[in-house]
Amino acid sequence: MANIIINISKYIILLMMILYGFSSFTVIRKEDPHKKNMCLNRQIIYVFVIHFLAYLTFAIQSPEDMVTIIAFYGLQTLIATMYMYLYHFFYPFSTRMITNNMSFLLLIGYIMLTRLNYALARKQFIIATASLILVSFIPLIMDRNKKLRKYGIAYGIIGILALLSVFVIGVEKYGSVNWISVGGISLQPSEFVKILYVFFIASMLSKKRDFRQVVITTAFAGVHMGILALEKDLGAALIFFVIFIFMVYVGTGKFRYMLLFVTGGAMMAGLAFLLFKDKLFNHVLVRVNAWKDPWSDISGSGYQITQSLFAIGSGGYFGSGLTKGSPDVVPVSESDFIFSAIAEEFGVIFAIFLILVCFSGFICFITIAINAKSRFYKTMAVGFAVCYIFQTFLSIGGVTKFIPSTGVTIPLVSYGGSSVLSSLVMFSIMQGISTIENKEAKKVDEERRKLEQTEYDNGAVLRKGRTD
Amino acid sequence: MTMEQFLEKEERIDKINEKLNRPIIGIAYIFGILFVGLIAYILRFMIVDKDEVIANAANSRLDSFAADVVRGDIVTTDGKVIATNNGDDRYYPCGDLFAHAVGFSKYTKAGIELVGNYYLLESHAGGFEKFFHTLREESNQGDVVVSTLNYDLQKKAYDCLGNADGAVIVMEPDTGKILAMVSKPDFDPNDIDEVWEEANSEGSTSSVLLNRATQGLYPPGSTFKVLTTLSYMRQYPGKYKKYTYNCVNSEEIFNSVSVHCYGKKTHGEEDLSKALANSCNQAYADIGTKLELGKWKETLESLLYNKNLPYTGASATSRFYLDKDSNKGYVPQTAFGQGDTLVTPLHNAMIISTIANGGLMMKPYMIDSIENYKGKRIKKFSPSSYDTLMTSNEVETLTEYMRKVVTEGTAADYFAGAEYKACGKTGTAEYADGNHDFSWFIGFDDTDKPHIAVSIVVEESDVNGIKATAIARSVMDEYYKLLDK
Repeated sequence: MANIIINISKYIILLMMILYGFSSFTVIRKEDPHKKNMCLNRQIIYVFVIHFLAYLTFAIQSPEDMVTIIAFYGLQTLIATMYMYLYHFFYPFSTRMITNNMSFLLLIGYIMLTRLNYALARKQFIIATASLILVSFIPLIMDRNKKLRKYGIAYGIIGILALLSVFVIGVEKYGSVNWISVGGISLQPSEFVKILYVFFIASMLSKKRDFRQVVITTAFAGVHMGILALEKDLGAALIFFVIFIFMVYVGTGKFRYMLLFVTGGAMMAGLAFLLFKDKLFNHVLVRVNAWKDPWSDISGSGYQITQSLFAIGSGGYFGSGLTKGSPDVVPVSESDFIFSAIAEEFGVIFAIFLILVCFSGFICFITIAINAKSRFYKTMAVGFAVCYIFQTFLSIGGVTKFIPSTGVTIPLVSYGGSSVLSSLVMFSIMQGISTIENKEAKKVDEERRKLEQTEYDNGAVLRKGRTD
Repeated sequence: MTMEQFLEKEERIDKINEKLNRPIIGIAYIFGILFVGLIAYILRFMIVDKDEVIANAANSRLDSFAADVVRGDIVTTDGKVIATNNGDDRYYPCGDLFAHAVGFSKYTKAGIELVGNYYLLESHAGGFEKFFHTLREESNQGDVVVSTLNYDLQKKAYDCLGNADGAVIVMEPDTGKILAMVSKPDFDPNDIDEVWEEANSEGSTSSVLLNRATQGLYPPGSTFKVLTTLSYMRQYPGKYKKYTYNCVNSEEIFNSVSVHCYGKKTHGEEDLSKALANSCNQAYADIGTKLELGKWKETLESLLYNKNLPYTGASATSRFYLDKDSNKGYVPQTAFGQGDTLVTPLHNAMIISTIANGGLMMKPYMIDSIENYKGKRIKKFSPSSYDTLMTSNEVETLTEYMRKVVTEGTAADYFAGAEYKACGKTGTAEYADGNHDFSWFIGFDDTDKPHIAVSIVVEESDVNGIKATAIARSVMDEYYKLLDK
């Protein structure tokens, strides 16, 4: 009996995922607000069906933990429901699609973490819930405080200081010194500096766009990347670089800047490689070699990636079913390699639709950027869109051997307090931009309607005069 | 503000916005392409590479499949079951006969049990049947691995090798199918518990679990002369046909090393073909001194010496140590197959098969196809080539020379009266301690239309009196007997 339920659940979960994946693209194109809302409501149902069946599976598999599982499930459902409905009550101008995607990704993350390690899942849930409450105020603050665009260089300086903090109170993890420990809580400053950094570039380029301004911006951005390289956190340095080139491209509208920075960046990287080959780039070489031919050293440098491929391949298209695979064999499957764990148990089709959902989040961000009228918010929205999607790309590309592994997490899905908090801040800022710009658009709309009304009234007077 | 002013302002804003949005749309496309690439890559992995990747023996998940699937049977091409289940235990109906070839699955995996592990643990029983089994929490019956092995040939080779230690490999040169693989000393895989315990007990020197056919490293002896001939042909393309050597003294000095032929015989005036037919050590020592060592090594490495063999099972790497800086004193010995050169019987089988197959080396394989337990074919493995390693001219010449070995040379007595035109090369290699002989034969059955190639080595043949060439004759005769049936 248990097996029947678990097996049927597996296919229903997949079906729900496919429906969610498709709807996350069709909803963007829906114009009619009523239909759009219906579609978004249906998405919530899909999410909760997946979530319910997953926890049902857990309950069946370990009846001795039934109470804990039901309590945990109940809390998650409560928070997610409250969040998805209340948010739009308080922020009617926010984008519902983003709240849906946020909840979806968080819940998928909880499911996988519960499967892998209940203690981590609980920790993640507590951190994420506390963060959700905190970040709920972000759109309000952004709406009230119009001076955010003015601080320019200050963002840059704070960011650089925060990055430098690891050299004073830093802790080494996985070969990179990019963590600090404050009162027993470890934080990854680069996760938060990322946000300041996007504010910095957006602020600088919304003020002026002449050559001098671009040079100053580049210099500060360069210092950020340099410090990250010294921390041996080359994944983050790469993300900062990509954010930079795309934001400058949008901010200035000049393609030649992007071309210049891409070649310049490549040359700098090449030079740094030649100068500090042994000191900074040893673990990069190891990773690149492990990517090129992991099969020659399955038990050594190729261990992570081959285990990841075993997991993805063994799960097949439909997955082994929750709790039926062995994703715990893959190292760090709770954070960097969570995609392999998901692919193994939920199946590759599910995993591909998960990629599509992540991509629909990006499209959402891009749509906000396109609709934004303010240059500051437009550039910023692009910065966060690129930051989000590029990080997702590095993470999934790395564990599937599409590109060398960079040790980056999937926003909101992977375990990690700093990563979850900073991703939630990012999503909330996008909601802030959405709120401000939608309000603005409504204002313009009202003005138009008022003018139309006066015009019509005047016209009516004129027409009246003519008929006389 | 009038309507006109308002519209003008809006239009201006829209225009600026549109200009600013162009790069944004570009960025969306760039990431769109990246993600299409990523998804396409994942799908390609699933369609093309997945099976091979997860069949890797390092994938610990395969064993967890065993919880839901009853390990499938292994059968020979002619339908004899060589591995099945007896209750919860694995049962090998033929006992010692297929010991190394079929391997075992307890403790660690070996042989076909290892290479075919993934398929044995997959079940293609019908969809409904699987569904009902899952419902009832019963196991599904795993698929059947149909090996390329032929029961009769294996039995013949096994019987001929008798009590001697050594190895026999019979291969189809044009496909790479391994038809027989025998290694002795052998063991009964049904008694793997005791065998494993003994082999792994402290101080044990037992090599019974070693598959000599693929992992045994032997001095190639005179079979190596075929490759020395090829190297010479490549370095002296215009002149090799005119090569002569006069073998008149029982001992001769080359590079200050004294060389004598087997049994201290003399062979008189010889060209290259006669030197091979007579297996004349002195002539080959002479040829060795004429070879440029760097190029010699190049030729041998092109034939996979010092390289991993393209074979999915466990195999050892053959060794050729000389290079252009080596001491010249090693040259004469090496040229006729002594020295430090080492080769596996499998590698020698691949080399002789390459000659039989017109210069194209096929990758050897042992799994012919996969069937579900009801006998419905699920998957067929097709032969795949490694590379063209010899020209047709080289192949023709070597074949002609090796034919002479059988018609008038060292193998003539063994092949007298054969109905097919066999060719090959015999060999006698000295054991490392110099006290005992190894007997070798590599060859194929018919110079016009090769069906099978053999590579045979017999340890201590001077003691047990079993000669590799005699085994080759019996195996080939058996093949033709089966062909007539």
